[in-house]
Amino acid sequence: MTIAETRGLTKIYGAGETRVVALDHVDLAIEPGEFVAVMGPSGCGKSTLLNLMGGLDTPTEGSVVLDGRDIAAMSDDELTSVRRKRIGFVFQFFNLIPVLTAAENASLPLVLDGVPPKEALGRAEEMLAKVGLTHRSGSRPDQLSGGQQQRVAVARALITDPALVLADEPTGNLDSRSSEEIAGLLRQVSGEWGRAILMVTHDPRIAAHADRIVFMRDGRIVDDTRIANSDSARDAMERAGLL
Amino acid sequence: MSVRHAILGLLAHEPRHGYDLHGAFEALVGGRGVWPVNPAQIYTTLSRLEEAGLVVKSMTRRVGGPDQNVFELTEAGREELDRWYESGAPSMHQRDEVFLKITLAVADDRARPERVISRQRATLYRDLHELTTRRSQLDTEAPLAHKLLLDKAIMHIEADLRWLEMTEARLHEMSRQPVPEREKPRRGRPRVTSIDKRPGEEGGDDT
Amino acid sequence: MSIQLRLAARYLAGRKLRTTLTTLAIVLGVMVIFGLNGILPGMIQSIQQVMLASVGQVDLSITSASSGTFEPSVAQAVARVEGVRAVSPALRRTIALPRDSGLDASALVVVGIDPVTAPHVRPYPLAAGRMLRPSDESGMRTAAMMSRELADKLGLRLGERFKLPSASGTTVLELVGMLDTPALPGSEEVIVSLPMAQRMFDVGDRISEIDAGFVSGADREAVQRAVRRAIGPDYIVGAVQTESPLSAGFEAASFIMNTIGVFALAMGGFIILNTFRTIVSERRHDIGMLRAVGASRRTILGMFLLESLMQGLLGTGLGLLAGYGLAIVANNALGRMVEQIINLPPTDVRFTPSTWVTAIILGVGVTVLAALVPARAAARITPLEALRPAIGDVYEAAATKRGWAGLALVAVAVAGLLSGNTGLAGLSVVLLLAGLALGSSVAVRPLSDFFSRAIELVYRSEGGVARANLQRNPGRAAATASAVMISIALIVALVGTITSTIEGFGVYAEKSTGTDYLILPQNLLLGGGTVGAGPELRARVQDTPGIGDVATLRFANTVLNGTAVQVVGIDPKEYGRIAGFEYSKGSSEADLTRLERDGTVLANGVFTAQYGSGRGDTLRLPTPSGEKRFRVVGVGNDYINAKIPTLYVSQAALERWWGVTTDVLILADARPGSDKAAALRELTKTVAEFPSFALYDTASWRKVQADLYAQMESIYYVLALILAIPSLLALLNTLTIGVLARTREIGMLRAVGGTRKQIKRIVLSESLLLAALGLSAGLIAGVWLGYVMILAVEGLGLAMPYRFPGVGIALAVAVGLSFAALAALIPARQAAKLDVIRALRYE
Repeated sequence: MTIAETRGLTKIYGAGETRVVALDHVDLAIEPGEFVAVMGPSGCGKSTLLNLMGGLDTPTEGSVVLDGRDIAAMSDDELTSVRRKRIGFVFQFFNLIPVLTAAENASLPLVLDGVPPKEALGRAEEMLAKVGLTHRSGSRPDQLSGGQQQRVAVARALITDPALVLADEPTGNLDSRSSEEIAGLLRQVSGEWGRAILMVTHDPRIAAHADRIVFMRDGRIVDDTRIANSDSARDAMERAGLL
Repeated sequence: MSVRHAILGLLAHEPRHGYDLHGAFEALVGGRGVWPVNPAQIYTTLSRLEEAGLVVKSMTRRVGGPDQNVFELTEAGREELDRWYESGAPSMHQRDEVFLKITLAVADDRARPERVISRQRATLYRDLHELTTRRSQLDTEAPLAHKLLLDKAIMHIEADLRWLEMTEARLHEMSRQPVPEREKPRRGRPRVTSIDKRPGEEGGDDT
Repeated sequence: MSIQLRLAARYLAGRKLRTTLTTLAIVLGVMVIFGLNGILPGMIQSIQQVMLASVGQVDLSITSASSGTFEPSVAQAVARVEGVRAVSPALRRTIALPRDSGLDASALVVVGIDPVTAPHVRPYPLAAGRMLRPSDESGMRTAAMMSRELADKLGLRLGERFKLPSASGTTVLELVGMLDTPALPGSEEVIVSLPMAQRMFDVGDRISEIDAGFVSGADREAVQRAVRRAIGPDYIVGAVQTESPLSAGFEAASFIMNTIGVFALAMGGFIILNTFRTIVSERRHDIGMLRAVGASRRTILGMFLLESLMQGLLGTGLGLLAGYGLAIVANNALGRMVEQIINLPPTDVRFTPSTWVTAIILGVGVTVLAALVPARAAARITPLEALRPAIGDVYEAAATKRGWAGLALVAVAVAGLLSGNTGLAGLSVVLLLAGLALGSSVAVRPLSDFFSRAIELVYRSEGGVARANLQRNPGRAAATASAVMISIALIVALVGTITSTIEGFGVYAEKSTGTDYLILPQNLLLGGGTVGAGPELRARVQDTPGIGDVATLRFANTVLNGTAVQVVGIDPKEYGRIAGFEYSKGSSEADLTRLERDGTVLANGVFTAQYGSGRGDTLRLPTPSGEKRFRVVGVGNDYINAKIPTLYVSQAALERWWGVTTDVLILADARPGSDKAAALRELTKTVAEFPSFALYDTASWRKVQADLYAQMESIYYVLALILAIPSLLALLNTLTIGVLARTREIGMLRAVGGTRKQIKRIVLSESLLLAALGLSAGLIAGVWLGYVMILAVEGLGLAMPYRFPGVGIALAVAVGLSFAALAALIPARQAAKLDVIRALRYE
């Protein structure tokens, strides 16, 4: 069973001399509760893949099937609705609205979906508590640390109970300690709350939190490895040269 | 061997019997799962140390139990331990299996170096996953020593991954060069030291 | 949707300085529109109130359509109509009190009533004394009544006597009765018997009003219709005619105020445009994120429109408040002036529903409209923007398409100006301004290159940086320059027109009032209401030693196409000798002699412009004696009546058709060779006996006129200054935006060794460059606009010398550059004060 799947997904930018194949017939299937990291050198197409899967951009060819529906052929309004209801986004720069409080920011997708603000705020408070920000729900983004801001963003991504959470370099703007915390939080989101996550990162340490790593190069998937449930730590220590 | 010196170091704190030493070592590194050593290995090492005159065995009487051998550090043992502290620990990374696999695979038509790299990367990530899992499971109460040991392991894997990435990017370049062979005797200076050497040629071991 | 509302409110509150500046831009426009319009309705209403107060208590009131007097026989016709119970004739005249009258009022209304019939149509509740009696008509007893309130105000007690000016000089009246009626400001009535009033105003047995009472239970509408049928179209039944010439004047004033307000708002629009463009570019990330998490394009569009709506409401609200304040201040200031000229009681500031609606719709509308383009751009931002790192203030491509459209508009405008048609020329100004505004984004680069050379002479390195900064965002620079352009254009045009007009009228004054002496009522209200003098004054003037030729002007009213037209009676022979006209093309001195034939009129320029009738046309004019055909035999202007649609007829015709025999203006020349000083002394003595009249000799008259124009001129200069303020705001807004957007760069400049002074100079240079851009476009548009305004004045038939507005240009350049320096003050200090380390880290 897959929750999100791409088939022959292709994206070409420009034409003629400036033509760039950003994505070249990519097939990828993600299962519920799976935490997938996408890695690769810059320009390999990992961000394009994420944008297409999130309905932020439309493919040149191929399809993106989310919840059994092909979103590649949708109009802007339909896509907007899909993004609102079925996809959660976590961005590198947090992208919180500076004039709204943490709880208001987290409640945004619900409010945009027409949920009464009071109810939306209540649910946002709950979600903030879940991501470990119980006492800061009334703070504005500039009163929060980077790690806390990203927690708000995670809460915002999860609040609509989305099928797929997309994270684009979620730790790219954080110090190593906060990075670990956010990575751990995402692992919790997939492991304990059963949400599928697709995360783009270039930090191996962050990617190592995923269940599966997809390596890309020149718009193609070159490697797709399941890394969870492997051998014991002893082997790891040994190979690291500690034994 | 480091287990040898670990025993000397543990005995320097206080005299211990063999079983006690095994437990102390596991506690030091953060559990069996991290760095497993079996008791037999401890006893073998102890007897070798005793033969070398670095430790001495004495008998103690225990109330309500059988008598046991308790080991103590000798003066020679103390000196050996001091020397160990003073010397640097050798880096072992030049003796690398993955390096051998890749360089040999490049020249072997039946093997695919890309595949070797991919396998190795998967292995490293699996290890990294395990280690980060373990690391994140350590709560704030856990001894700092254990965290530092895990961090060391994680950092080594990160370094290995980076090296893999770099090697992968230069595989093509590598395949165009012959596998380094033993030099023909007395014909000029070794190529590896020439000024215009290229980074790709550093794959060789120059110790 | 509430989230949009919440976001809009928070964002607005989050950037206080910019919100304040943007709000001020709207406040200014709304203030002008709302405030100035608040004064006029009060005045108009006050006039109407005064008029209507007299008919308030009667069932029906009948006046002449030409607001003159008419035969009393009409009263009998009214009395015969079924349903009419009683009629009473009356004569109503406003008299201006001379300053030395000893009475504490500038004007009174004298009402002559028939003591027998009047109480049947209108109540006269006595508070003290007695009602007028028929025996008061004998002429021996000059009895008068008035309200107790008025008597108190004038300080009169029962039985006391007082003097009022009249056609024969002065009349002494005795207060015999005090009434218990409220004295409405401006309609303080002195009630005398009808024959007394007729004598006072020298109108024979003519009356100006018939009051009627209905049989109780009668169908009022039906009776009113029947009365109208019985007396014909020359009379107004039901309501008293409001003074149309005055209303028309007020309407014109209101139009000018609105135009100025709209211009101010247009400048505000450019400021809002800039603000919102900046907001959108600053918030690209937020917008992208909102789009990514499921906000539709409509939501984004709605969010910005809502924000602009709130901004508009805020600005409009404050503008209404400020306008109210302005109205009160201006009303007090203007009120005193107006009271002097036309005897209007002090009026309250009053805002009609249409003023409210206009101010609110324009204030909010301009804001939302100006934000529409940036809002639509915001809606087009893709969610991918959220993923991109922030980009700084990078080069923005100039909109070439818009530039071409602007150029095309300018070309059409040139064609319009050259067409020779005044209307098209007027339109060409709007097109030119729009074209320059559109095209300015393309012109920013070459023009700023050009001007920065001058600035680089002084600030060598800073000027270049400023130019580069400005050229990075040509759209913003263009909008700012456009706001400055409008200001400058208006200043140049206003000042230019004033100069030309004053010079032009000076020439008229010279020609038209080339007489040595001028005798006219102290409070001259052309077009009606002014008390004239009987033949006595003219005769006395003529008999004064040293006086040669004398001519008089008499005034009446008629109606054409529903609007009031002034009719001036002259004696063609004597008027030609002493004063004469400034004839328009095709007319000459000979036309004046044709006026001696009955049924001929001479029209002035304003009349021909307004009604489109010229020489040879025939007009059908209602007169108190019925409709009459008049042929226009010529077109010419005299100075005094140049601004009011006027027809000149012979005094004989005026008497026959309008029943007017009183002189309002008396022109006199000294006998050649006589001692002018002695003649003036004699004349002063003569006129002193007619206290409501004032005597001027040529010099003093010109001085009075010059003072009047100086007063007007200063008002226009204040207006021009008010119009310059939005350009200051626009510059300030843009510079603030620029400093904020380039905080990091400023930090970098400081880090690599730029001094605070240099940073200040960069901001100042940018401000000067922006002002120079606005100036160059504004001067062109201003000269153009000024020329078109002169064309328009000439279209009214007044020959205007066109003077190149050198003073206006100098003033505009001075205002533009000093405002640029002023606007740069705060942002420059802000930029110079930036902490280097924090500035470098600024996002």
